[in-house]
Amino acid sequence: MFTTDLLRQLDKIAGQYEQKQAALLPVLHAIQEKEGLISPESEQDVSRYLGIPVVHVHEAVSFYHLFHQTKKGKCHFSVCQTTSCALLGGEDIIEHLKTRLGIKSGETTPDGKFSLSVVECLGACELAPMMQYNKEYRGFLNKKKIDELIDKNK
Amino acid sequence: MPNLTIDGQKIEVPAGTTIIQAAEKLGIEIPRYCYHPALPVAGNCRICMVEVEKQPKLQIACYTPVAAGMVVKTTSPKVLEARKNVLEFLLVNHPLDCPVCDQAGECKLQDYYMEHGQYDSRLASVKVKKEKKAFSIGPTVMLDQERCILCTRCVRFTDTITKTSEFGVFDRGDHSQLDVYPGKELDNKYSGNVVDICPVGALTDKDFRFKCRVWYLDHTKSVCPGCSMGCNIDIDWDKSRPHTEKKERVMRLKPRHNPDVNNYWICDSGRYNYHFIDENRILSPQYLDKIVEWGEAMERVAETIQSTKAERIGVLASAQLTNEDLFVIRKLFKDTLKAHVDFRVPEKPGDSDDFLIKADKNPNTAGAASILGAQADAQTIVQKAKQGELDLLYVFGHDLVKLFGKETVAQIAKKTKLFVFQGSNINDTCGYAHLNLPSSVYAEKDGTFTNCQQRVQRIRPAFFPLGESKGDWEIVSFVAGQLGAPLSYKGPQDVFDDIVKTVAGFAGMSYEKIGDQGMILKK
Amino acid sequence: MEKVLTRNFGLENSHRLETYLKNKGYQAARKALTKMTGPQVIDEIKKSNLRGLGGAGFPTGMKWGFIPQANPKPKYLVVNGDEGEPGTFKDKYIFEKDPHALLEGIIITCYAIASHKAYVYVRGEYVKSMQTLQAAIDEANSSGYLGKGIMGTTFDLDVVVHPGAGAYICGEETALLESLEGKKGFPRLKPPFPAVVGLFGCPTVINNVETLSCVGPIIANGGEWFAKLGSPKNGGNRLFCVSGHVNKPGVYELPNGITLRAIIYEHAGGIPNGRKLKAVIPGGISAPVLTADEIDVKMDFDSLKAIGSMAGSGGIIVMDDTTDMVWAAMVAARFFAHESCGQCSPCREGSGWVYNNLKKLYQGGARPHDLANLPGIIGNIGGNTICAFGDAVTMSVGSYVSKFREEFENKIKERVCRI
Repeated sequence: MFTTDLLRQLDKIAGQYEQKQAALLPVLHAIQEKEGLISPESEQDVSRYLGIPVVHVHEAVSFYHLFHQTKKGKCHFSVCQTTSCALLGGEDIIEHLKTRLGIKSGETTPDGKFSLSVVECLGACELAPMMQYNKEYRGFLNKKKIDELIDKNK
Repeated sequence: MPNLTIDGQKIEVPAGTTIIQAAEKLGIEIPRYCYHPALPVAGNCRICMVEVEKQPKLQIACYTPVAAGMVVKTTSPKVLEARKNVLEFLLVNHPLDCPVCDQAGECKLQDYYMEHGQYDSRLASVKVKKEKKAFSIGPTVMLDQERCILCTRCVRFTDTITKTSEFGVFDRGDHSQLDVYPGKELDNKYSGNVVDICPVGALTDKDFRFKCRVWYLDHTKSVCPGCSMGCNIDIDWDKSRPHTEKKERVMRLKPRHNPDVNNYWICDSGRYNYHFIDENRILSPQYLDKIVEWGEAMERVAETIQSTKAERIGVLASAQLTNEDLFVIRKLFKDTLKAHVDFRVPEKPGDSDDFLIKADKNPNTAGAASILGAQADAQTIVQKAKQGELDLLYVFGHDLVKLFGKETVAQIAKKTKLFVFQGSNINDTCGYAHLNLPSSVYAEKDGTFTNCQQRVQRIRPAFFPLGESKGDWEIVSFVAGQLGAPLSYKGPQDVFDDIVKTVAGFAGMSYEKIGDQGMILKK
Repeated sequence: MEKVLTRNFGLENSHRLETYLKNKGYQAARKALTKMTGPQVIDEIKKSNLRGLGGAGFPTGMKWGFIPQANPKPKYLVVNGDEGEPGTFKDKYIFEKDPHALLEGIIITCYAIASHKAYVYVRGEYVKSMQTLQAAIDEANSSGYLGKGIMGTTFDLDVVVHPGAGAYICGEETALLESLEGKKGFPRLKPPFPAVVGLFGCPTVINNVETLSCVGPIIANGGEWFAKLGSPKNGGNRLFCVSGHVNKPGVYELPNGITLRAIIYEHAGGIPNGRKLKAVIPGGISAPVLTADEIDVKMDFDSLKAIGSMAGSGGIIVMDDTTDMVWAAMVAARFFAHESCGQCSPCREGSGWVYNNLKKLYQGGARPHDLANLPGIIGNIGGNTICAFGDAVTMSVGSYVSKFREEFENKIKERVCRI
């Protein structure tokens, strides 16, 4: 069940829409912000709260790549692999992260500190090669910048 | 009413009709996977694309409404090429496991590949691996994700028909997977229908899979005897291959389309209610503990009737019987002998819903009421028998032990001269009856049932009656013959023609006119 | 050259209401709401030759005109800020540098189509954009530029920011509507078009962020003024996003009709390290790639269409002569395979298939028949799907194979393993 605080927040979100179901994405964002993931329990709660069959809540959670069903690490690297970034070495940055962290895309280090996601264009090609580091955009990446981030958070 | 031309044939259809529907009226079947006439249009499979004159792109026939003067081509080179291409895409990640797939023989991928594909494979890379192969998703259905072509018929069925929403398509792109919600089951009263609408081997029926290759099946049109809805069905039965010795003849039941009754669906309890056809049957007439010839059995009934008076004869007919059976019972026992006849035993109402499942679990209550009327009363007949006021009690199919208790039935056996049980399957009452007579089941019968809408519908015999069993009408006619008052019907159709002449509601009907859709009784 | 869209970008605190008001902010909205009727606004937009800058280039005034005013249902404006077309990053600048210009465009548009509710769908990763926009909406609400009785008139308008959640397909306008209604982003079958049956089944206009940011200046200065800025039938300036192998990647406001050569060499500083241009994507990854000798084309919808490409979203990706075009095709195909929604079979199965084939070609495992089959497979996706995504796969990926065929053939001859 939602906490009173969260429920108040969700009511405010849902109140903006003519149809309550339309609040699905912002509601899921709010829950993930609080809990770090969308759990099966949350899916059930959201299903009841918005009146959407739970299977369709789960469809959305699996369709939209910003929702996770497992917790991400404290430092989440979402590195772009699309053309502009790839042209300027994005793939090398990804390989470097894989080697340094010892994980593949979609995985989290066993200590729960780092997660890696290889993603498609984030709409910041002028910063290529770039990534989203937690919520922030970081551009003009090179191996040194990546190493500094990892070392600082180890 | 727009006029249009499809493959050179002209047709006029109501506005709003889609191309696929209009083509169907001309007998042109446009291939389809996601389209199903009873479900919302999804338009995702793209196999039904057709050429519409003046349109640069091919159009999907399932969604495109007809327009006046439209010229449609469903077999032009461009259309055939597109079909081939769509098939090729659908097969990119589909396994080549037809030899071990239970859908083989009724798989639309196979069918359309043979009609439109037949290309050399251009696939040079690995297929997307999906998780669930031969995976149970509930009491009735197995899921095979890699065979699924994501047409979403099952998703739309559980969303819009049962409104239970068990299915979803998770993830996206070529990693999309059909599944039920993690930890939940497909467990609703209509679950088996998803197997019927699945155009490929992704959803298969636990009850049927690997029991019989579908090309060994014959199909007989019938009506489900499970409740008073009278859902139209096909009895799929094994054509007795010489090299196998199966005890079961019926392999499965499938819903048969009737827009006025059940549309394309049946409930699970109707679907899986067929094992009684081949199990636990009464195979020969039996007097006390002895198997007897039909002649001897009939002689005993006739003797008892002849040695008593009409008011000492009680008959419990049944709403499980066909109109034809009931009419012959009426002819002999009611019209000729003037005995007490009723069919309305005190049954507990079964489960029901606001869709197809009715609380009255008899297929022919309306027919029995129209043919037998309601002069006598079943409870009184049983009381009379129990109190020794009857010499003959003749019961059709009812399990009196279940309805009235052991003691009452034991009393009846003691107090009557002849206690006859006539039915298809053994029940507790058989042990008390003096004479057991084997009758055929609905799947062995020709005849009609009248459903809760007062609709008279045909059932047809899939195969011969098992053992020495006979049709109920035939047995009663046999008794009449022994009594020297022969009912000279040649068969159920002959009986029905007499019903039409005698019972007002049936006026104007015939087997031919009833056809596959049924006819409503006149008030 | 007169700056229209970026006029305020250089100002300190350009995102604040105060700054915006000091620079003629909301005067156009006041003019529309107090001195013009809805149809007059639409006429002015028609005169301006403003075309949809999200990628499709549909005439904006005409789109508004499709809204059936007799329909008693509420009408909606949905702002497409799901900026996901690779190579495109302009809407982010508008959200973060001049959100009030967007809001002013929204007010005028809603007034023109008699809508009282606008949803701004922003891609979920644009956290800062959403924060800046929400702050601007809050400022506008508390200062009477949004909400009940805007600027003392009887016109009411609410604007809601809706976050996306990581799906490129939601930039397709009907997928966006599905997503906004709380569903998976599956494009809808058309017709009906959103102007008739859109959000919640009501008449809906869907416009891109940049398109709406042009509306204020058009109303302030007149449609003819805007039309003259651009080329025939392509009014105004637009924001070109330049990235890849250029010295100065970034957003450039330039008139429709400027040449691609001028953008690359005069504005974006040319190719680094003295290398040569090899290829360029002129309008986001969906646009067919151009070769170095095609860059004298004018960058408007009609001129690019004439040479078999498209202006799209204005995202220009530059590739120098070190670029392996087989690899570039594979990267593009990888994007499409990753982002296909999975609804229609040709796109769902085809995009992954094409990517796998290109990967095999690039990695060195392909045989001659793999290349021979490739154009056919790519070609069978387009034209056969619910939305234009399938067309994009065919046109975009297909263009690499047709324009750089020799490189693909060499990959097979080389037989070098790159796994």
